[in-house]
Formats: sequence, C-alpha cells, structure tokens
Amino acid sequence: MASNPGQVRGNLFRLAAIAVGLLALGVVPAFIDPYSLRIVTGALMWAGLACAWNIVGGYAGYISFGHSAFFGIGAYTTAILMQAGIGMPFLATLLPSVVIAMIVAAIIGGPTMRLRGAYFAIATWAFAEMLMQLATILDITGGTGGLSLPAYLNEFFFYYTMLAAAAASFLGVWYLIEYTRFGFRLKALRDHEPAAEAMGIRTNLVKVQAFALSAAITALFGSVFAYWTTYIDPMSVMGPEITDQMVVMVLLGGLGTIWGPALGAVVLWITNRYIWSTFGDTVVYLPVLGLIIAMVVLFLPNGLISLIVGRRRGRELISRILRKF
Amino acid sequence: MDLFLQTIMNGVLIGGILICLTIGFQLTFGVLHVIDFAVGGWAMLGGYAAYWLVALAGIDPFISIFLVFVLFALIGRAVGPLIYHVRTSRYARPDLMALAFTFGLFLLMRGGALWLWSYNSRNVESVFSGEFLTVGPVTIPVLRLSAFLMALLISLGVFLLLYRTRFGMAVRAVAQNRDHAGLMGVDVKRVSAYVYGLYTGITASAGVLIATIYSVNPSVGVRYTLFAFFVAVLAGLGSVGGVLIAGLALGLMESVVSTYVGTRYSLLVVFGVLFLVLLIAPKGVLGRGI
Amino acid sequence: MAGKFSRRALLRGTVLGSGALVLGAPVVSAQGQEKVIRCGVVTSLSGDNRFGGNLTRRGYDLWAEEINKLGGIEIAGQRYPVKMFYGDAQSRPASGADAAVRLIIQDKVDVLFGPYTSGVTLAVQPISAKYQVPMISGSAESPNVWLSKPAFNFGMIPAVDLTSDKSIKVLAENLGSKAKSVAVVGVDEPFSKETAEGFRHGVQEAGLELKRFELFPANADLTPIISKLKDDNPDIVAVGGHESVFINFVNAAVSLDYRPKALIMHYGVTSAAFINQLGEKANGALGVSVWTAGLPYRDDLFGTASDYSELSFARWGTHPDYTEAGCSASGLVLQDAARRLGKAPPWDQKTRVELTKAIEETDIETFYGPVAFAKEGDHFHNNIKPVPVVVQIKDGKVVPVAPSSAAEGELQYPMPGAS
Repeated sequence: MASNPGQVRGNLFRLAAIAVGLLALGVVPAFIDPYSLRIVTGALMWAGLACAWNIVGGYAGYISFGHSAFFGIGAYTTAILMQAGIGMPFLATLLPSVVIAMIVAAIIGGPTMRLRGAYFAIATWAFAEMLMQLATILDITGGTGGLSLPAYLNEFFFYYTMLAAAAASFLGVWYLIEYTRFGFRLKALRDHEPAAEAMGIRTNLVKVQAFALSAAITALFGSVFAYWTTYIDPMSVMGPEITDQMVVMVLLGGLGTIWGPALGAVVLWITNRYIWSTFGDTVVYLPVLGLIIAMVVLFLPNGLISLIVGRRRGRELISRILRKF
Repeated sequence: MDLFLQTIMNGVLIGGILICLTIGFQLTFGVLHVIDFAVGGWAMLGGYAAYWLVALAGIDPFISIFLVFVLFALIGRAVGPLIYHVRTSRYARPDLMALAFTFGLFLLMRGGALWLWSYNSRNVESVFSGEFLTVGPVTIPVLRLSAFLMALLISLGVFLLLYRTRFGMAVRAVAQNRDHAGLMGVDVKRVSAYVYGLYTGITASAGVLIATIYSVNPSVGVRYTLFAFFVAVLAGLGSVGGVLIAGLALGLMESVVSTYVGTRYSLLVVFGVLFLVLLIAPKGVLGRGI
Repeated sequence: MAGKFSRRALLRGTVLGSGALVLGAPVVSAQGQEKVIRCGVVTSLSGDNRFGGNLTRRGYDLWAEEINKLGGIEIAGQRYPVKMFYGDAQSRPASGADAAVRLIIQDKVDVLFGPYTSGVTLAVQPISAKYQVPMISGSAESPNVWLSKPAFNFGMIPAVDLTSDKSIKVLAENLGSKAKSVAVVGVDEPFSKETAEGFRHGVQEAGLELKRFELFPANADLTPIISKLKDDNPDIVAVGGHESVFINFVNAAVSLDYRPKALIMHYGVTSAAFINQLGEKANGALGVSVWTAGLPYRDDLFGTASDYSELSFARWGTHPDYTEAGCSASGLVLQDAARRLGKAPPWDQKTRVELTKAIEETDIETFYGPVAFAKEGDHFHNNIKPVPVVVQIKDGKVVPVAPSSAAEGELQYPMPGAS
C-alpha cells in the first residue's frame, strides 16, 4: 500500500490514467453511429467476461470450461423474471441473477475444486452441458423455443450499462486482488498452495470465493446480454461458444494479468466483427480461433500483454500463477 | 419384455463402438499425460474421410476403414511430437497448456470441417445398410452388428499390440513411469509420437463406424468427445482395460434411458452422471485411474 | 510497478477508444440520393443454419435479378432498380440483430427480407419496429413469431402449427375408420417441435388416439425411438423435423425391420434430396406442402409455379423448395405494395411507415399462391391464405392425394412394405 511519496505519486498517476480512460470511453457514443456502438458494447461485454474467467483461470489457476453455465443462469433469470406473468423491471432482476449464480457456484465449487486441473476442466464442461440440456427440456425456460424479453432498444442505455459493468468488474477485481486480504490470500494460493495452507490460509474457502465471484460477474453480463438481445435460447446463452471465446480471449491477452483479458477480448471481438462485416460470412472464424489458440500456446503462452509489459515480467507473472498446480 | 431385450441389444452394439472410440484416448493419456479434447474431432474427420471415399471412389466403409486408419495414423504421427513438445516444455503449466492446445486443435477441426463441407449431414452408405437379422424377438441391424464386430477386432488388435509386442511393452513402460522407461533405454519421444499416431488412427476408424450408423456433420465431434470423456473417466483415466466395461456401460445406459425415460433426457443423464462420477470417484469406478 | 500499471490502463483506454473511433469512421458513400430501392437481406449465411439461410438468399436474389431485368419495380409509371445488401446472422439471434442494425444504419436499407429461422426473426423484430423498417420473411414458420403482433413484420409462409394440424385432420378424414391411433415424434428444436405439436393438436381434434408424443434431440440415435414405435404399432406415425431427420428415420426403421402403415412428415418430404437419397424406400411416405411446382398458381413476373421452378433450376442448378419460393414471393409483395404506395424512392422513415401499411393491405395472386396477411389474432401478419396439401411419394414423384379438391392421385394405405 502507499507508504512513501513515490508510491503515492504512482497511485495517483494510476488513478488519473484510469479516469482518463473512463472519460474517453464515456464520450465515445457521441462520435459513432449506432451500429458501431453495438460493436463497442459487445467488446465491453467480452472484456468483462474475460476478466471474470481470468479470476478462476488465471488467478486461482483452474481452467474452467463451464462458465457459459453462469452466463446462461444470468440470462435466463433476467428473462424469466421479465416475462409477462412476473414483469420485474430490468435493474431489479440483476440482484437475483447474481445471487443465484453465486449460490450455484458455491454449491458446486466446493466439491469440484478439489479436482486437479484437467479433471476440473472436464467436470465444469459436463456441468455446463448439463445445464444447457436442462434449459432445453424445462418449460419455464421456453425449451428450445427460447424466451423473448420486452424490447427496449436504446443503444446508449446498453452501452453505458455494459461500460458500468465492465468498469466495475475490472476495477473491482483490481482492487480486490491488489488491495485486500482476499487478494493477498488468492495470490498466496496461486504462488504456492501448500505454503499458503501452512500459513493458515483456508485455501478451499478462497478457491470457492474466487469461483463465486467469477460466476457472479459472468451472470451479470448474461443478464444485460439477455435484455440487450431481446431473445435468448439455450444455444445462444449457454452454448460452448461462449466459453470458447472467453478462454481464447484470456489466453490471447495474457493469463493471470489484470488487463490482459481486456486486450485479448477487444482484439478478438473487433477482428471477428471486422471479418463478418467485410466478408459477410464468418465460417472461417472458428478454425482461425482454433489456430490462434494453438499458436498462442506454442509461441506466446504469456499472451499479448507480455509483448507490452515485457517478456520477462510477463513470464514471471505467469509461471508464478500456474505453478500453483 | 421384447422391448427390453431390444433395448439391451441396442445398448451393447453401441457400447462396442464406444470402446473403440475411447481405447486410443486412454493410451494417449497414459503415455503423453494429455487429455485430448480433439478426440471427437479425429472421429468426425474419420467419418468424413469414409464419406468422401464412398462418394468419390465408391469404396465401402468396411474396406476403407483400413485406409482411414493408415491415413490418420500418419497424420497423428506427425502431430504427436507437437503435443509432446507442449506437454514437456519448460514453461508454466504444461498439462493445461496441452489441454488448451488440443482444444484449439478441436476448434480448428470443427471450424475447418464446417468451412469446407458445410453443415449438412452426410450419410455414409455401406453394403450392410438396411439389412437386418432377427433373433427371436430382437431385430439386429446388420450394419450395427458389423460395426460392433469391427470395433472389437480393433480393440483386440490394440491389446495384442500392447501385450504381445516389444513396442507394446515400451508403451506400457512409458505409461507406468516415463523417466524410468527413459532410463531403461526407451526412446520416450518416439514412442509418444507413435502412440499418438496409433490413437488418431484408431479413433478415426471408430469415426468411420459411427458415421455409417449415424450420419456425420461438423458438430458431432462435441458429442463424441463427451462420450469418450465419459467412458474414460468411468473406466479411470489411462486404464485401457476398464474401457471394455465402461464402454458397454455407457451404451446400455444411453439405450435404457432413451427407451424408458425419454430420448430427450439421455444427454442430460449422461452429462449428469459424468459430473457426479468426477465428484465422487474421479479415479474411475474401478479406481484404476491415473 | 505503479508506472507499468498506469501505462497499461492508459493503453487500454486508448486502444478501446481509438478502436471505437476507427470503426465509427462514417461510411461515406453516395447514399440516399440514388433512386433505387435498397433491400437488406438478414439471414444465416454461416453457422448451423447455413444451408437454409442460403436457400432464402437465393429466393430473394432470384426475385431481385428478375425484377431488375425489367428495369426494377414500377412505381407511378417509372421503374426503379432494386439494390440488395446482405447481413449474415451466423445462425445466432444476437448476430442477426447486429446485422439488421448494420443494414439499417450503415447501408440505409428501406426494407428487410427476413431470416431463415424464427429465433433470428424474433431478435430482429424489435429492431425493425424501432427504426420502422418493414420486414418480409419468406421463411420462419414458428407461431411464436406472430404472437407479439409485430407491426413491421410480415410472413409469407403459414405457421407450422396451422399446416401440420390441418394435414392430420385431412388425413384422418380421408382414411376414415381405418386409422385410429397415431404416434407423434419430433426433433427437439423449435421448428420440428412446433410441427409435432401441430400434429398432436390435429390428432386430438380429430378424435384419434394419441399413442405417443415424444421429442428427441437433433442427431440422436433413432434406434430407441423406433424400437418403441415398433412396439406401439400405431396406424399413423407423424414425424416433425427437417428432411435429414426423415431420411435417417426411414433408414433406421428399415434396418430395424419396421415400416409403419402410414408415415407422415412435413415439408421435407417434397425435397429432391429425400427422394434421391432414399430411392425406393421413400415411396408411400406422406408429406405436407403449401407449395409444389405442380400447383396451379401464377403471376406476371414468374409465370406459373412450374415456370418458377424451371427458372430457379436454370439459375441455381437445383429445383426450388417452398422456402426459396416463399422468399421470391416476398419480393412480389414488396413490388405490389410499392406500386400501390405510389411514392418514388428514396424513401424516408415516414414513407416507410406508409409502405408498411400498404403491405398490410396486400391481397395478390402469385406463383406461390394467394397472399394476404391476417390483421388480428394469433397469426397476426402471417399469410394464412395457402391451403396445405397432403402429398404422397409414388414412384419417386410427389403426388397430391388430399384433400380431394387438390388430389391428383389416390392415397395408398397402408404404405408399400408396411410390417
């Protein structure tokens, strides 16, 4: 924490930079057309999702292939609560959505996180697919027919909502990781689990807390997404595609770094939309995505952010995170 | 009662193919310590290969299966060293990086298939299609029976390879303890590459069989990956023997659930059971997992 | 440490901001001044529904090409060419919405031609309503699409629940006391499920016994379900799904030594693929159609249904199915409405609203059949005019067999090879 003039100056500079960044993002809508605004809104959403996944994947060190489940929980909670019979206003649905996601995460997180790396990956994947099947079968979710939400097509509203959610996520995570005891425990856990246990840190509790936090943020974005798109179905909010993108974005950007996920998300999303609007057909995106992962693993395991921060630092950071296994 | 017998028969026939699908996967895990997310992808590509061989050259899948095996074994032999390299490299978390790599490979396969061949399902015609045998109250489609027998044949071949050849001994040695095997003079890198090739060949062959029964399209890979995972986990990751039981178990479970509970619920049950098994007995029902 | 972090924060802010600005660089092109009619096609050109999506695109394109050969749409004596723009929905509702917004904002389209799937249609509806751009869909058969009474959306094809429901009743009437029990199965995806539910409804209204109603996931193994059907032995088996499911169903049934006495499916039966892939096994299968090339409809642009079919064959190399036909007919609706509107392009928002009202009053005859949109009820803005016809495959040909007013052949029951 700040304890000398140099660090106080550093903190102020940091805060100033963030304020500038937020201000820049805040005035963006004034300069671009509604369609491009949609793209940026999408980028913000994916940045937030990548940040959420990074908590579990990068910080706690558990590669989860099941985060789409929480995105879907968020989306469906909001959708169901906004249906004609219940008719809750949008903002009121956010709390239940986040809470439900956290509860589910807490329940399954406990036992699931006792599994080692690859087993955890499969287990989370199985869980997500299971939930998607449930969504397909139950009537309350509209089954395969999906659900329609009341249409509210104000692009500005959604842009600022996504911005608020993304900013809250990044800043919140940053604060938690760097400035709180929870963050301290998490980093200790990631650096060396047995040592952390020896120090008296209840690693299981920390892991589950991280998982729940990650789930909560993911669900939040799911809720906003549902209202934004006005129509959801199991494939579109619980499908493996969502998890695929989250994983690639974080890997590409830089696992276990604060801003890496944002970078990966923006780069990938803009590329995706650019290919789509230029060539009209993005079948080629999927194999390209696969190729990117393969290349990143082979040549740039520390992500794009390492190119900016400096290879040595990046590598240090990553190896510390991942050594926890 | 008739329906019950038919259900059991259906389940057993499919189980045999699932065994073939997973046997290579277990080998890969045992030797390379990699969970290959792309297992379903290899099967899918094998199915497409069979389709194109029928469509372009008129070769019956039960003959082309050998060609497919060789083709994919060669491809796998070439890709194997990459996976080995990722798995044993110095950086960070190698097994997770390998997982991510195979995941990327899977996306590449799925996307590539979608891009090249589009979404439509392709039927792979065989001389056995449509024929059936009747044994008492049970009807046995000849196609499935043939696929079942072929699958068993391949699995038998794997067992013979593992337990009756020097190469097989080397493979088992590496699976038991890589470092010691290396000390004993086994070229671990080469063995790993060959094992991967063997795995892709077998899995692609299983894909051929599956494609004759169902059709093949780019998204079937996900389901096959799931089934392979399921059988592997149930048997215990890395246990080749356990696959025999686990494969049949999955086939029967799917058949019984589809028939008596409802086809809609079969996937839910499969995923649910997989999840529970991982939580309760991650080393497999027989506890032989690595 | 502190410096590096703040540098990154700044970097991130700048990257996002500048990325946004780059994208936003207004697409300047000679727009709004030309006297053309700008049409935006939103459909799934990639992804799971790529096949169907491309069919819709062909339908719309064929119309555009034909009308432009004449110089364009005629309004108050003058001809105005049609310019087509495309947005790929990627088989995802969210992308469909993005595509619609892009077409409206950046390409400034006057009218939208709708997607293949109902899911994408539902996502695009609010956008169409917000910017007041009318959308005409040649596909999208879910009844859900019309429940919300979308003011700016029109559908050429009657919702599946209408057609499958009626067809069972027609079949039951034709067979009389010979058919008492029906089993209904279907794929658990929106279109197929709604078809199956339509069948079920028809069964209940016709007073027949419903032996089974079961849905199964796409790509599922059909052996369990056929084993069950064989055990049930109903008089009629109704299957809701796309043609690939039908093909699998017939093949799987044959390999299990089961041929139902009557097998009714839906539109897919009339497709060339079904007949070609199954050969002899297809004979006797029943299907439903609101459009086949043999029906006696005609219009001034395409001629008869058969003329249209040949035209499409010459252009694309395959005979059209009802989806393509419906999409081409969508263009005819636009033509007619624009002519009645009488206002020359370029059109502003106010004119588009008037155009929408004009579309609502459509009442024309086309090669696709009669077109008029319901102005109230559950099928609001759905074209409910076409009459579904039950067809049967005989010797590899599609022959209408019921109702008797449209029949060209006798309904064969039980079907050839029935167990």
